[in-house]
Amino acid sequence: MAKLPRASRSKKRKPCPFTQAGIVAKEIDYKDVETLRLFITERGKILPRRITGVSAKHQRKLAEAIKRARMVALLPFVAED
Amino acid sequence: MANKINLYEGMFIFSTTLSEDARQKAFQKVIGEITERSGEIEQIHEMGRRKLAYEIEGHMSGYYYLVYFSLAPSGISEIWREYHLNEDLVRFMTLRASEVKETLEFKSLAE
Repeated sequence: MAKLPRASRSKKRKPCPFTQAGIVAKEIDYKDVETLRLFITERGKILPRRITGVSAKHQRKLAEAIKRARMVALLPFVAED
Repeated sequence: MANKINLYEGMFIFSTTLSEDARQKAFQKVIGEITERSGEIEQIHEMGRRKLAYEIEGHMSGYYYLVYFSLAPSGISEIWREYHLNEDLVRFMTLRASEVKETLEFKSLAE
């Protein structure tokens, strides 16, 4: 099968917001709810980095921080409506 | 080896149905469990009353404290046992910490 031409979409990767702000992965803190909220959906799910552009290293720490914040009820596991 | 001391941070959520006095007393008890086991309190942050993101045992809000302390690892399982029995404590979490945060401020993602 012939390869279809990819729909024109820029391949340029979004810059990582943490790297840009000069935040090291270690500094991502579960207590910083304001920041963590930017990376979850309305339902409370963690956004994939393909959407947010977060680097792999930061995403790992971010996911851990979000999960910790959930344990102490700073963030929801699931948000109903 | 036997006298290894680690730095920890503990987050403690108290019931908001407690009076100011009762909460202070409950918090002192929590602190006491650490100091009794020759732990040292490094820093206490009172984060105040917050709405819980989800309901825990009927509670919709909680009073948050963050405590940095150093303690021998064997003490952690002991204080956990005490905390689990503590009815005033809605939820707690202890984590290894790498440093004591003097303030609870964070760098923001400037856009």
